[in-house]
Amino acid sequence: MKLKFVVYLCALLTAMQAAAGAESFAAPDFVLKSTGGENIRLSEYRGQIVMLSFWASWCGDCRSQLEDFAELRARYRDSGFEVLAVSLDTRIDQAAETAATLGIEYPVLHDAGGLVGREYDVDTMPFVVLIDREGAVRQVLEGYRRNRADEFFDHVRDLLRE
Amino acid sequence: MRSIRMLAAMAWLALPLAGNAQDVDAVPEFAPDGGSSSARQQQQTEEVRTLDEQVQDLKKLAVDLNRDLFLLEEELLFPANTQVAIFVSMDVGEFFGLDSVEVQLDNKDVANYLYTAREVDALIRGGVQRVFVGNMKAGEHELVAVFTGEGPHTRDYRRGASLSFEKGIGPKYIELTISDRENKLQPEFVVKEWE
Repeated sequence: MKLKFVVYLCALLTAMQAAAGAESFAAPDFVLKSTGGENIRLSEYRGQIVMLSFWASWCGDCRSQLEDFAELRARYRDSGFEVLAVSLDTRIDQAAETAATLGIEYPVLHDAGGLVGREYDVDTMPFVVLIDREGAVRQVLEGYRRNRADEFFDHVRDLLRE
Repeated sequence: MRSIRMLAAMAWLALPLAGNAQDVDAVPEFAPDGGSSSARQQQQTEEVRTLDEQVQDLKKLAVDLNRDLFLLEEELLFPANTQVAIFVSMDVGEFFGLDSVEVQLDNKDVANYLYTAREVDALIRGGVQRVFVGNMKAGEHELVAVFTGEGPHTRDYRRGASLSFEKGIGPKYIELTISDRENKLQPEFVVKEWE
């Protein structure tokens, strides 16, 4: 019995070491002002699955994506899923206006100096980061087309099942 | 620093495990006719309980080790003779909704902190936040703190407070306190040194 436990623990430690070198890594924490006026910190969503969507009002695909994510959020919010849309627009009112036009109800944040975008290596838009309940980055998805919405839905469902 | 901490923790965890491995060799296997099944079950339950206790002990050791390493790291990075720490606290907060604090030391930005609703709530309930810790040489220094938020009648509010202080040999602790001035129905921002 004890031998089994020791073997199990060794395997666990090895797995932990391997995991440390794997792609999953802790999502950099940040606090940003939302279009609603309140400040939002990523780490306060620990325990929920978070989809960070980096976007800008001039990006057409981003607008389609934000609309689709509204549907995704409405479906899975009660299961512990949240969308945080991080706007890389130069002015917060541009982000607020677009979000209002699209009828977005989830938090829309403004990354004023682009610091958070740099932290997450955002080099294209839309750029989506899927974060699990432990606060680790699990998926990074670049680009978006309306007919690819299911791919995003599947990733979220996989995480919700864990 | 983190990798050193991890290595030390792993080594620490491995020590008792090595001991367990020896124990395993020493424990005889059950004899084929070594008593009734209920006695065997009881023995197994005992073993599981002992293992649980050992796991709990290991967890506690890891937590203690982590704490000690954190303290050691703090002492190394911010030695007592150069350490300056700045704290934020709030009292009541009826006339001021805190949004952010900017701290400058000798005209240099050292901290800029945005507060979430939860953090403000924690401050109002008596929490004290360390907004900055760093090193400064002994002598005269000036601290400027700028508070932004929502003032009375939900107006945008921005106020500054400053303090000139003498940094001596020991660590210096400074507290930025936001409180309500009832008679003027205004918030009050106080910067004070801890002795």
